[in-house]
Amino acid sequence: MKTAGWVLAEKVQRIAESKTFEVRSDELPTWCPGCGYFGIHHGLNMCIRRLGVPLHMVVTVSGIGCAGRYPFFSETYGLHTLHGRALPVATGVKLAHPDLTVYAVGGDGDGLAIGGGHFAHVARRNVDINFLLFDNSIYGLTKGQPSPSSPVGTKTKASPMGTVDKPLNATLLALTYGASFVARLFAGDPNTITESLMEGTRHRGFSFFHIYTTCVTFDKQFKTWDNLKKWVHPLPDDHDPTDRRQAFDQVLEDDFSVGVLFKTENPES
Amino acid sequence: MSKVDVTVEVCGMAGDGTIAAGGLLNEAMSEGGFSVLGFDSYPAEIRGFGRCVTRSRIGTNEILALDEWTHVLISLDDAQSRSRIPGLAENSSVFFDNNPPVYVRERDSLAARVEPGTALYGMPLADLAARAAGTERGRNMTALGGFAAVFGVPEELFHKVITRKFQPKGAKILEANLHSFQAGYEYALEHFSDRIRPIFRPPAKPEGREKVMLSGNLAIGRAAIDAGLKLYFGYPITPATPIMEYLAAKLPETGGRLVQMEDEIASIGAVLGSFYAGKRAMTATSGPGFALMTELITHGVMAEIPAVILNAQRGGPATGLPTKTEQSDLHAAVFGGPGDSCRIVIAPTNVAECYHYTLKSFQLAEKYQTPVIVLTDFYLDNRVENLSVPRAGSEETADWNIYPDESSKGDYKRYALTESGISPRSIPGADGFSFSATGLEHVEKGTPSYSPENHMQMSEKRHRKIRNALADLPAPMESSPEGDLEVGVIGWGSTVGSVLEAVHSARERGHRVGALKITSLFPFHEGVIRDFMAKCREILIPELNFEGQLANLIGYLHTKDVVRFNRATGVPIAPSTILREIEALIQAGGR
Amino acid sequence: MTEDHFVIIGNGPAANSAALTLRECAPDTRVTMISRELVRQYKPKLLPDFVAGKLSEEELYVRPLAFYKEHGIKLRLGQEVVDVDFAARRVTLAHKEVVGYSGLIIAVGGKPYIPAPLQVFEDFMMTLKTISDAHAWIERLSRTESVLMIGGDLTSLAFTRALLSLGKNVYFILDEDSFWPLRLTREIRDQVAQRLVSRGVNVVECRRLKRLARVSEKSVEVVTDTDRLKVGVVGAFFGLVPDVKFLAHTGIHVERGVLVDEHLKTRFDGVYAVGIALRFTIRSFGIIGFPSGTVTLKTSGRSQR
Repeated sequence: MKTAGWVLAEKVQRIAESKTFEVRSDELPTWCPGCGYFGIHHGLNMCIRRLGVPLHMVVTVSGIGCAGRYPFFSETYGLHTLHGRALPVATGVKLAHPDLTVYAVGGDGDGLAIGGGHFAHVARRNVDINFLLFDNSIYGLTKGQPSPSSPVGTKTKASPMGTVDKPLNATLLALTYGASFVARLFAGDPNTITESLMEGTRHRGFSFFHIYTTCVTFDKQFKTWDNLKKWVHPLPDDHDPTDRRQAFDQVLEDDFSVGVLFKTENPES
Repeated sequence: MSKVDVTVEVCGMAGDGTIAAGGLLNEAMSEGGFSVLGFDSYPAEIRGFGRCVTRSRIGTNEILALDEWTHVLISLDDAQSRSRIPGLAENSSVFFDNNPPVYVRERDSLAARVEPGTALYGMPLADLAARAAGTERGRNMTALGGFAAVFGVPEELFHKVITRKFQPKGAKILEANLHSFQAGYEYALEHFSDRIRPIFRPPAKPEGREKVMLSGNLAIGRAAIDAGLKLYFGYPITPATPIMEYLAAKLPETGGRLVQMEDEIASIGAVLGSFYAGKRAMTATSGPGFALMTELITHGVMAEIPAVILNAQRGGPATGLPTKTEQSDLHAAVFGGPGDSCRIVIAPTNVAECYHYTLKSFQLAEKYQTPVIVLTDFYLDNRVENLSVPRAGSEETADWNIYPDESSKGDYKRYALTESGISPRSIPGADGFSFSATGLEHVEKGTPSYSPENHMQMSEKRHRKIRNALADLPAPMESSPEGDLEVGVIGWGSTVGSVLEAVHSARERGHRVGALKITSLFPFHEGVIRDFMAKCREILIPELNFEGQLANLIGYLHTKDVVRFNRATGVPIAPSTILREIEALIQAGGR
Repeated sequence: MTEDHFVIIGNGPAANSAALTLRECAPDTRVTMISRELVRQYKPKLLPDFVAGKLSEEELYVRPLAFYKEHGIKLRLGQEVVDVDFAARRVTLAHKEVVGYSGLIIAVGGKPYIPAPLQVFEDFMMTLKTISDAHAWIERLSRTESVLMIGGDLTSLAFTRALLSLGKNVYFILDEDSFWPLRLTREIRDQVAQRLVSRGVNVVECRRLKRLARVSEKSVEVVTDTDRLKVGVVGAFFGLVPDVKFLAHTGIHVERGVLVDEHLKTRFDGVYAVGIALRFTIRSFGIIGFPSGTVTLKTSGRSQR
């Protein structure tokens, strides 16, 4: 049996071999210890390394929120824009310079509330960018207010009686908007994130990654590590990601199955 | 050759071919060597729904603005044209259809409303067109034929422009239009022989470059293409939409792309993204859309990303008067948005400047890494002028980006503090020069910092940069006699044409009056403005807004009191109106 | 008809007099004057002096246009009435507009009369009734030295003086019909001829004008039963006839003018005729217009109440 030290050493070795540290910048992430974003960060870094894309050919565009800081922690080119505006700016970047690999990252407030209007249009335009929605169902940077994906009854300082508005399901929206690549992922599983991101980055067209994650500081009731680990499970083996109807059924029936739900090279109108 | 200065209006319902007729009139008179300035309007009010009006001022001298009164009205629809009657000058002429399908009641009649002395040229327009071409559709051409015959415009001029316009649509349509024109021409020669006023004997063709008729919007579109525009992002809004429509047709020919975005926020966002990735992009909007853009514009200021934004002003606030002209976004353009967000604001004053300033805006945006706002307005966008074919110089189309040199590779500071304030900017794809652009306050490397010293330092750097841009900005142009002035008029934007004409007329009447045209609204050429104001007894600032927004800006210079002439009317200020103000000031001062 | 609306056809002395009287007697009545000529009221008697260059055009005019506006009189110049429907009380204009009236005053002026035998030569003859006629004369006289006057009405005599003052060579054929509807007696004719000759006019004695023909840009050949001469221009001066052709098929009595009663009323309700327009008997034209227009409308104004 391997000792704990041995396991750790092995892990460090693997990480060193994956060269993800080359993608990370010297800047120390501002996220809280234990934040799910570290897992996503690692997953994307692994993806970029494994795809072999030169870092100077990658642009990470973000909005505002905890996820907004992402570009500073990456050795790629970065563009930290305004609250909700990552998608249109990323559209401009990609159209201007199609050789670049463009990732847009943002939280659930950024992507579903203030920037929610852009989501539909970037999907229907099918611009070849990759949108990572970090969904922790809370506004973390502003210290814990309900977000558009908070479940009904979420109690925060801004909603002491519990929220009454129904939450949005970002995966369902993406399918409805006609996104040509839709994956649902879990921050606690960086390897699946890497796999799906690689597939999505290779996909020609708009790729959407709905990533369940946690806010260890402001969410003690809903998307906690414990709950997510309990709830999240892989898609059924027989799921056919080329079948849009099946993807809809899957999302409507099961909120927590993760994997590539849908992809098409010929998005129908 | 005697001096001619005539304003012609064509008025009809949508579908009457009003705008086409007005356009051909402008083209023909331009071909004939006249100066032409035209302005089309399509009022959106319910009452005037569908009414189209083109106004053209045609003259032998240079024409800088539309004037107050109309001398010739060509009515293609009397119900619509009735509203134009109060704008007719004394002894004007009215062309109309004197054989409508049904009898007209007195209260609906155009003829019943004109002042005595107005010459009525009743022609059976529809009948003549139908007889000549088998369809009444060409009656706009028939009316032009009548106009040409009565005012002595050589018919060949019209033949030429009609052919140019309709040849692409096939021989049948061309012939129908030519025949309709000719029918009107001959009818008028025969029936109005006692009322022919051949005032338009064309002057000799001006030597030099070929002249074209261009609207402000078209000039902007052309300039964008000539500047090597790669991407246009926009959202439909009156009066900026024609720019988008023009570029939608032209951009693909030059390898560019146009994307209609979901809103103005997305449009400016994509423009910033495009410039960030090293390609020239622009967006055009009007006040309401511009308001939505302001946050991202300040992002461009903070992150030092170039952008070119055209704001075609219309009546405001809010939805305001979408089809009326106003100069009321000056404050928004100069100050709009959070924080100390200094940017470059320039405003062309005529169609030629629409072209050159649009070109210039790309140069300025790249060189100074800043959003550049070009302010036009409905009047300037939709007016047509005949001018020498504008062409871009090599300087204007050059790449003005300042890239980092190899020595900084590996230790690249995107926001390096330099003397000029300009920090070399790398473009994604450049290995060893990656950085994150951010709307957060940042240090030289680009990483966020909230330190007091840094914020002060970086604010100073950004403002220094914009201040230094003054050297590249179009300087104010003065038109004054030597010495002190009784009245100095300061103008900006589309109002300048009227200002200059008024000032010239005032000088012809023996007054000591000068004009200063300001085209760079931020930053300002402070010294020039101060010097001008120092030698004027009175300063008059006519503006198409209620608050006197330029007067407010000039007020920050704390020089002396100015007389504001603020017109929130939605219609251009005529030279004669400004002249009256000038003379009133002189009289008041003389007492 | 809910409002009182007087339409006056014409813009001569009688029409203007009618309009002013109406304004005075019935201040609330809407008044519209419709006249075919584009110019405002002028004094036709001064036209010869204008052609002679003794007057400026401005001096021909009676009052400024602003006057009408100030007095609430709608003046519609350059617009022609082509039909009247007395039953429906409305007039039709040439551009297919119908204008309703409660009262109509026919005050059209006259038009130059050309006797039937001469009408075939109309194209070669100039007349002098309007300002545009005057302008045409001025233009023509600038490139011609000789003028043949045919007729002999009052205008022709004044105009002859004007031509002589311009140094033109004047020929005259006195026509016995020229004081239409009066016929010149031999006696008066000789008196007039003698006066003309004494002023240097070449009076052509003849019974009949046989032919007019343009022989060049600059001259017209005139053939009479006795003579043959070349002149620069021919003028016809046979007085005026009421210009009421548009009434021909309306049912109103038109016989060299509109038939009216002693109040200048026609046989149709609310329709009056004044000035040259009405059928006149032996009085000469100038006298009829003003007083009768004034009188009638004072009467009719009262009867409106």
